[in-house]
Amino acid sequence: MVDGAGPMALQGLRVLDFCRLGFGSQATLILGCLGAEVIRVESTTRPDPIRVMPPFVPDPGEVGEGFGGATLANAQKARSPNRGGIFYKYNTGGKRSIAVDARHPDGLGLLRRLVAISDVVTESFAPGTMARWGLGYETLCQLRPDVIYVSMCGYGHTGPDSHYLTMGPTAQALTGLTHLVGLPDREPAGWSFSYLDHVGGYLGAVAVLMALAHRRRTGVGQHVDVSQLEPATALAGALLLDRTVNGRSARRPGFPPGNRRGGAPQGVYRAAGEDRWVVISCSTEAHWAAFVASAGNPSWAEDERFATLADRVKHAEDLDSHVEAWTRTRDRYEVMHLLQRAGVPAGAVQDAADRLERDEQLSARGHFTPLVNSEVGELSLEGVPFTMSVSPPHTGGAIRRGPPCLDEDAHFVLRDLLGLEDQEVAGLRAGGALR
Amino acid sequence: MTTNSEGALGGVRVVEMVDEPVEYCGRLLAGLGADVIKLEPTGGAPSRAEGPYAEGRQGDRDASLHFWHFNVGKRSAVIDDDEMVGRLCRSADVVIHCLRPGPAAARGLDHQSLAAGNPGLVSCAITPFGQTGPWRDFVADDLVLMALGGSMAACGYGADDPPLACWGDQAWLTAATYAALAILGALEYRARTGGGQLIDVSAHQAAASMTEWHVMTYLCTGSPMARFRHPTVTARDGKQVAALIPDFLGPHVFERFVGLLEADGVAGPLSDPAFGDPRHRARNYGELMAATQRLAGRHDGEELFRLGQEAGLPWGVIRAPDEVLDDRHLQARGHFVEMAGVTHAGAPFVADASPFRFLRPPPRLGEHTDEVLAELEGREQRTPAQP
Repeated sequence: MVDGAGPMALQGLRVLDFCRLGFGSQATLILGCLGAEVIRVESTTRPDPIRVMPPFVPDPGEVGEGFGGATLANAQKARSPNRGGIFYKYNTGGKRSIAVDARHPDGLGLLRRLVAISDVVTESFAPGTMARWGLGYETLCQLRPDVIYVSMCGYGHTGPDSHYLTMGPTAQALTGLTHLVGLPDREPAGWSFSYLDHVGGYLGAVAVLMALAHRRRTGVGQHVDVSQLEPATALAGALLLDRTVNGRSARRPGFPPGNRRGGAPQGVYRAAGEDRWVVISCSTEAHWAAFVASAGNPSWAEDERFATLADRVKHAEDLDSHVEAWTRTRDRYEVMHLLQRAGVPAGAVQDAADRLERDEQLSARGHFTPLVNSEVGELSLEGVPFTMSVSPPHTGGAIRRGPPCLDEDAHFVLRDLLGLEDQEVAGLRAGGALR
Repeated sequence: MTTNSEGALGGVRVVEMVDEPVEYCGRLLAGLGADVIKLEPTGGAPSRAEGPYAEGRQGDRDASLHFWHFNVGKRSAVIDDDEMVGRLCRSADVVIHCLRPGPAAARGLDHQSLAAGNPGLVSCAITPFGQTGPWRDFVADDLVLMALGGSMAACGYGADDPPLACWGDQAWLTAATYAALAILGALEYRARTGGGQLIDVSAHQAAASMTEWHVMTYLCTGSPMARFRHPTVTARDGKQVAALIPDFLGPHVFERFVGLLEADGVAGPLSDPAFGDPRHRARNYGELMAATQRLAGRHDGEELFRLGQEAGLPWGVIRAPDEVLDDRHLQARGHFVEMAGVTHAGAPFVADASPFRFLRPPPRLGEHTDEVLAELEGREQRTPAQP
C-alpha cells in the first residue's frame, strides 16, 4: 500500500489476469480500483491487440493518429506495445504486467507457481485455450484448492455455440441492444462503441466478488463462466416479458421511439454552434410549467394543442419545432443551467472533449485521474463511478500507478512475489520462458 | 462440489428504497441470494405505474411487466412511517436509496443516523450526479444522463440526424450495476474488518465511463470522434447483420473471410493475392464490404450470422431483444427461468457452486409487510436497539 492511502476494499486479494481486449480487462480494472493486486500475464510475441491498435498515444506535445483504421496494416505500424490508446481505457486499477510464454515448459512452471499464490484467475480466451496450455480449471484447483476461476468469453464455455466469437458490436446485435438505438421505422443506428464490453466486464467483476463472498462463507472456490450475451438480456427492461406474457415482440412499427420516452417536449434539440445539441426532458406538468416560465412565457406555449401532457405528446412534433427555434440561438450549457435552475431535466450533449474540459461536475468529483505510464507519461484516466467513505477506490489501484508497459513488472513478480534469485531469472530469460 | 442453496449472499438483508430503474441493483443482489426488502409507499412504487402490463390487466399495480422485470426475487413491504423505516434500516446489512444528503438527513435516513446503532451497515446512495459537486442538485432522467455522459454524442446515423440515446435507461442500469459492485466490495471489506460505510454512486459518472474508445481517441488525437453507425449488411430476409472483419487481430481473419466468400462463389476481386497484403486491404476496404453484401443477399439473417461464425468470424444478426428467447445456445445454458408461470431472463453467468437464481416471483404490493414487521420485532427483542 502506498503511504497515506487508506485501506481498500479488496486489499490483499491477488488476481492472476490473462484477459485481453476490452471485456475481461474491464472486469479486472474494477477489481484493481477496489484495491486488488492484478497481475496481467502477457506475451511479447502475441501482444494484446489493443496494445497495438489505433488510436496511438503520441509523445507529449504531438498529435496521434485517430481510430480511422483498426486494420492489421495500422497495427503493424505501432511504435511499441505501449501505444495503443484503448489499452489505457481498460487497464487502470494499478494493474501490473509480466510477459511469460505459457507454451514454454519453464514459462508454464512459473505460471503454476503464480496460480498457487493467487486468489483469483481471470481469462478471456476461447474455451479450451487455458486447458491446452496445461492450466485448465482442474489443474488450477490442484495448484490452489480454493481458487476462483472466472472465464469471460463471447459465448461462454458450454452450450452448442460455445465456439462462436463475439466483439462488442456482435454481442450488441445478438442481444437486441443494437435494435434499441434508432429512429422509428428506420434501420437501427446502434452503438458506435462496445457498450457490452463494459457490461460484460461489470458482470465479470460481480462474478469474482460473488465467488469471493461464497468462499468466505464456505471455503470453497469455483469456476464462474461469464459470456458476453447473458449479462445483456436484462438490459431491455420489460421487452422480454412483453413477449413471454403478452406475445408481443419489440420488432414492430414505430419501435424503438428514438429519443422519446413518453413526455413532451422531450428529446434532443439543436443549440447555437455547429452540431451542438441539448436534451430537454419534460415528463410532468410541473416540468412543462417550469420550462414555459424559463423560456419567457412565449405565446406559442399557450396554444390549446399544448394544454395538457397528453395534448403535448399528441402534437410533439409541432411542439419540438417551437422548442428548437428557442434553443438553436442559445448556448447548450446556458439552456441547461437556465432549465436546471427551474427544476427541468436538461443537459448538454457532451462529447469526449466536453467531458474532459468543460464538465465541472466530473472535474469536481475527480472522475478523470492523472496517472503516469513510464513510456507515454501522464494521462487522464477513468476508474469506477463511485466513492466509498471508509475504503475508497482509486483509479491507480493500491499502487496509484497508470496502466503498465508490457512486462514492466517482471522484477516485482519474479523477485518480490516468487523470491527467485537473479541467476534463476537470467536462466529463464535466456531459455525463452519470459517473452 | 459443495452447493450453497442460499446463494453467495445468503443471509444478507438489503432494504431498498429507490424509485428509478436503479431497482436493477436490488434485482442483482436478490439473484445472488440476498433477502431484498423493497419498501414502497401506500400507493406502490412508481415503477408499478409503468407499462407494459400483463394483457387484460392495464393499470393493475400488481401486473406491470416493467415492475416484474426489475423486482423479481424481492419482498415488498408497505411502510410509510419514517421512524419505522429507520428501524428497519438499522437492522439491515445494506440500505440502498436515491436520496441526496439534505433529504436523507431530514428523514433521519442519512448514513450517520442509521449506522449509530449498526456500525457494520453499508449505505448506498445512487443519485444522478452523486452527493457532492456543483451539479449535485441537478435533476436528470436517463436521456439527460446519456447526453451529459457522452453516449448520445457518439451514437446516431451521422451528421444529418440527431444524436440518439439507447432505449431502456442504460445509464441508470450501469449505475445500478456499479452500485451492486460497490456493495459487494463493501461487504468484503466488512467481512475482514466489521466496518460499514457510505457508498456514493454517480449515474453521471457511470454513463461517462461507458464509451470505450471515445475519451482515449480525443486524448490521442485532439479531436473528438463524430457519431457514426457501425456498418452492417442486409440479408436476404431484410435483417441487418453486423459482419465484422476484425483484420487487426491477425492474418487469419482475412483468410477465413475469403474462404467463406469463395465457398459461396462471391469472392470476386478478393481472390486476387494482392489482398493478402494488409496495406492493400486497408486501401481497398470498400471491396471487403461489397463482397460481404454479395454474400448477405444469398442468405437469411440468422443463417448468415451462423455461416460467418462457423468460419470463425464474430458476426451477429441484429435481433429485437425478445428474439434472444429463441436462441438455442442461451436455452441450452439454462438462461431462461420460469417463475409462477412466467418466463424471465435469468442468471448473468453460470456459477455451479453458488448459482444466481431468483427465489421468488415479483412481489405483489405489500405482500410481505406483515412478515417483515414481525421479523423486525423478533430481531429487536433478541438484540435491543442501541440508543
